Amino acid sequence: MNSVNFNINFGYLEGLCRGFKGGILKQTDYINLVQCEILEDLKLHLQSTDYGSFLANEPSPLSVSVIDDKLKEKLVIEFQHMRIHSVEPLSTFLDFITYGYMIDNIILLITGTLHQRDIRELIPKCHPLGSFEQMEAIHIANTPAELYNAVLVDTPLAPYFMDCISEQDLDEMNIEIIRNTLYKAYLEDFYKFCSTIGGSTTEVMCEALAFEADRRAFIITINSFGTELTKDDRAKLYPRCGKLHPDGLAKLAQADEYEQVKVVADYYGEYKPLFDGAGTGPGEKTLEDRFFEKEVKIMMSAFMQQFHFGVFYAYLKLKEQECRNIIWISECVAQKHKAKIDSYIPIF
Amino acid sequence: MGSLFRSEKVTLCQLFLQSEAAYNCVSELGEIGLVQFRDLNPDVNAFQRKFVNEVRRCDEMERKLRFLEKEIKKDEIPMLDTGDNPEAPQPREMIDLEATFEKLENEMKEVNANAEALKRNFLELTELKHILRKTQVFFEEAASNGPMTEESVNLLSDEGLTQGGQQALRLGFVAGVILRERIPAFERMLWRACRGNVFLRRAEIEIPLEDPVTGDQVNKSVFIIFFQGEQLKQRVKKICEGFRATLYPCPETQAERREMAIGVMTRIEDLNTVLSQTQDHRHRVLVAAAKNIKVWFNKVRKIKAIYHTLNMFNLDVTQKCLISECWCPVDDLDRIQAALRRGTERSGSSVPSILNRMTTKQEPPTYNKTNKLTGAFQGLIDAYGVATYREVNPAPFAIITFPFLFAIMFGDTGHGIIMFLFGLWMVVKEKSLGASKSDNEIWNTFFGGRYLIMMMGLFSIYTGLIYNDIFSKSMNIFGSSWNADIAYPGDMGNNVEKLMLAKTYRLNPNSTNWSKEPYPFGMDPAWQFATNKLMYVNSFKMKMSVTIGVMQMMFGVILSLFNHVHFGNYLNIYAEFIPQIIFLAFIFLYLVVIIIAKWIYFDPITMNTNCAPALLIGFINMFMFNYPNKDASPTPPCSSLTWYDGQQVIQTLLVVCALICAPWMLLVKPIILRQRSRQVKTHVAVKSITVTEPINGDAVDSDQEVIHHDESTRLEAEVEVEEEFEFGDIFIHQVIHTIEYCLGCISNTASYLRLWALSLAHAELSEVLWNMVFRIGLGIDGWLGAIMVPVVFAPWACLTIAILLLMEGLSAFLHTLRLHWVEFDNKFYSGSGYLFTPFSFDDIMDVPSGLGDD
Repeated sequence: MNSVNFNINFGYLEGLCRGFKGGILKQTDYINLVQCEILEDLKLHLQSTDYGSFLANEPSPLSVSVIDDKLKEKLVIEFQHMRIHSVEPLSTFLDFITYGYMIDNIILLITGTLHQRDIRELIPKCHPLGSFEQMEAIHIANTPAELYNAVLVDTPLAPYFMDCISEQDLDEMNIEIIRNTLYKAYLEDFYKFCSTIGGSTTEVMCEALAFEADRRAFIITINSFGTELTKDDRAKLYPRCGKLHPDGLAKLAQADEYEQVKVVADYYGEYKPLFDGAGTGPGEKTLEDRFFEKEVKIMMSAFMQQFHFGVFYAYLKLKEQECRNIIWISECVAQKHKAKIDSYIPIF
Repeated sequence: MGSLFRSEKVTLCQLFLQSEAAYNCVSELGEIGLVQFRDLNPDVNAFQRKFVNEVRRCDEMERKLRFLEKEIKKDEIPMLDTGDNPEAPQPREMIDLEATFEKLENEMKEVNANAEALKRNFLELTELKHILRKTQVFFEEAASNGPMTEESVNLLSDEGLTQGGQQALRLGFVAGVILRERIPAFERMLWRACRGNVFLRRAEIEIPLEDPVTGDQVNKSVFIIFFQGEQLKQRVKKICEGFRATLYPCPETQAERREMAIGVMTRIEDLNTVLSQTQDHRHRVLVAAAKNIKVWFNKVRKIKAIYHTLNMFNLDVTQKCLISECWCPVDDLDRIQAALRRGTERSGSSVPSILNRMTTKQEPPTYNKTNKLTGAFQGLIDAYGVATYREVNPAPFAIITFPFLFAIMFGDTGHGIIMFLFGLWMVVKEKSLGASKSDNEIWNTFFGGRYLIMMMGLFSIYTGLIYNDIFSKSMNIFGSSWNADIAYPGDMGNNVEKLMLAKTYRLNPNSTNWSKEPYPFGMDPAWQFATNKLMYVNSFKMKMSVTIGVMQMMFGVILSLFNHVHFGNYLNIYAEFIPQIIFLAFIFLYLVVIIIAKWIYFDPITMNTNCAPALLIGFINMFMFNYPNKDASPTPPCSSLTWYDGQQVIQTLLVVCALICAPWMLLVKPIILRQRSRQVKTHVAVKSITVTEPINGDAVDSDQEVIHHDESTRLEAEVEVEEEFEFGDIFIHQVIHTIEYCLGCISNTASYLRLWALSLAHAELSEVLWNMVFRIGLGIDGWLGAIMVPVVFAPWACLTIAILLLMEGLSAFLHTLRLHWVEFDNKFYSGSGYLFTPFSFDDIMDVPSGLGDD
């Protein structure tokens, strides 16, 4: 795919996406939002932004969950609109983006059924972008093999599931392993797909996916400390398409504590600053937030180039971050807990 | 015209409103719609303003009204639009309104909840009915087809089920209803999850069922699943649940099923009566609401608008009164005062509201009072750029020139009449058409420009008569002054008929064919058949285009004089206006003069037309200072010789004068400005004191100064910026301006030739359409012709409307628009103002209708 012919098929959607991006809240909006006293204030301010009257038909008093639902609904409508109007290979690309949400939904539902929760109350919690037809029947499966044979075999996730069939039961530990194995396979596949597209898409998307892969590797390692996960098993969960592959991953596999992870990160210029000064103490930002900030930066830079698919991915990620920010602020407002209201991650 | 020539005088006023009277005063001001409020707290968030709670309550009321409106629309109840304009309710009435809406909403919600429950019940029963009916078919089929395969007998026959012990086979089954589009996945999942150990039969329910929540019609299918064993049953049930299939108990024997079916039928009938009663109740509630809903909407919108406006006000220190700033037209100050008095009276406040005029250096908004006719033209001008405050407004001239230039290009009486009638119809039916608010954008633009269309039609009739074109044919009203001396058998009395029979004829004014009497009005119809018609018409239209174009441009330059005088910009008069007018007049007006002189002095009666001056060559020679000598050999054609005494001297003088104007325009203004700025700089210290002194020392409006402290400092900064003189900037600006004007005069004159080109295209196109389409029908003789004429009339009429009226009309419209925006407006119009947008309830109530475009 080259820049010359790009606009024939994808120009409209790219323009649309960039237009949507223009509606992302600015720093001044956030400054106004954090001054809100009650959620109605929030609604009033959001009315003057690109969100418009998305809450206009909601009866007072508002709740955070309503805001969350409406934010998601708006994002999903925009995404679906682009998906419906897309042609190959963009449609496959957009589908790939949704697979991540499908994995999350599957894991959510399995964990839910494991804890004897009714499937009906779980379904609304699933991300609408990752819903699929067989989703609601997921609770018939008791083993990974059953899950594969009965439910997932018809979904696009089936090939990713191959590695997990051997697991015996569905317990917490195994579910986490399944999640990470699925995610690993998914990321690597997505990475491969983006490399075949070529042009700026490859350039931008591979960078974004490499970051995603590395982030997962770090988080998996840090979260695995103090669990019964063996180092070998852990090593199998690392997505092998990031910048850490292969040396960094090998070192991460040997790590026993946080400091050692930090030492690994020190070898990589882009991850070193994230670990420096990250912490849980007051005034410090958590590592998670650091990663989010870095992600926002990468996604913003995706918009610097034209004629590629990265903008769609980047838009979705930025918008997700914005939703997280708004929800964070609304939670703080709703609970009158303003001390930490400023720890949202500004996008512009 | 007086009011349209320049925009209204607008002044900045300060309003002091008692807090209790503020609401009523603003409400009254909203009714008259003559005041544009300025936001005095631009830095304050929307949710931190004073009346945010009231705005929020209005939002809530609007939400309830929207909910009601949605319900009303769902039931397709007509909403009564009486068109009456309720006054903004008093703040205390808000509580009543809120209570009413609250009650209605709750009632509606209750009714909806009831209806939903009933509908759900009804849906379940219907589904059960279908299940019983369909499964009956399954079982019967199984019984009749039984002997064919043993397996199916065993599986499906009642025997198999009831006497399960026979082959140690105890089959269970579940029956249910599922959405039709989910069936393929459902079947696959069943097969996989149960490893093929279930048997599924399904049948479609032919009638779509109503979903109780959304009210949509959905297609569903009945299914029945047979399986063996308790474990499988659990699994099947889970899958059914996962696919949102509803399961129903289905008795195993036929008798029981029949009994159940009868029970279900009676329950459905009972439910139907209850349902219809609920619907009736709902309908009654909604009909009652539908009567008032528009009025309610208007009321709530008015309250909301008032509070929005109040949010822009400042509170004074004592909290007793609200202070606002607004732009008001000076002529309407009395009406505004009266409105304020009414508002104060209504609120019962004893202290009057005060309206105080302020002086400001800020540019006031441009406010043109328009009516229905001028509004469309003003819209066209505003689309290019809103006039600078008090600048000459091109709109009043456009009222005549716009349709006229359009008509020059669209000159055909027939087409003009159709267009005029269409415009007239819209104007006459204005009220009823305007009341039925259409969403059709195209129609709305046509309707918005109805007066424009009518005028354009009217003028086209006139130019059509001049061109003597009616559907590309000519009318011989006064009798042609051409006489055909063609030898033709028989005595043909009428000249035109003779000419027509001759098919082609070349008209030569030097011959005896011309009676030497001009045709009294417009073009002689004889030209219609002449082979040299195009040559004649082209020459006429081209010269006319240039003449009209130069006139309009001259007029534009003269209008710039009015601007300079009005703004006291006398430097511009002698540094710009005078050289501009000289440049234009000495070159282009001279061209027009010789065009007209040629028309007057060179006619075949008095002079030899062969020696009429060739204007183009003469004009080129004028710039080359090249005058052919009469005695030179070879002898130059007599048309290129001078044709009046002193022509050479006069023309040389004209060209030299015009050329001098270019450096005049270029240099004079920057140099004088530079000298002035040098003089100012020497007094800069003195001046800075004089600038600041009156602002600080102005004791009359001392409180005003306190409030606007930040603003006055900003203004001071502006004053200082103006004083800084950048010679380079001004000089470059002047260079651009000069080049643009000089080249512009040439290119704009050429641009006016589009009048000729478009008019030629229109005439040719309509002639082609006549010859190629309608002529076919007219050419056939006998009874066949009688049939053919109406047959070919249809396509001819359609094409005339579609191509000649719509397409050509649109194209002529756009070219006219361009001639006004570019060629005319750039001579005097800067269009850098901003529109006066008063706070008016009318704007809030109506969605603004389309701009006056064709």
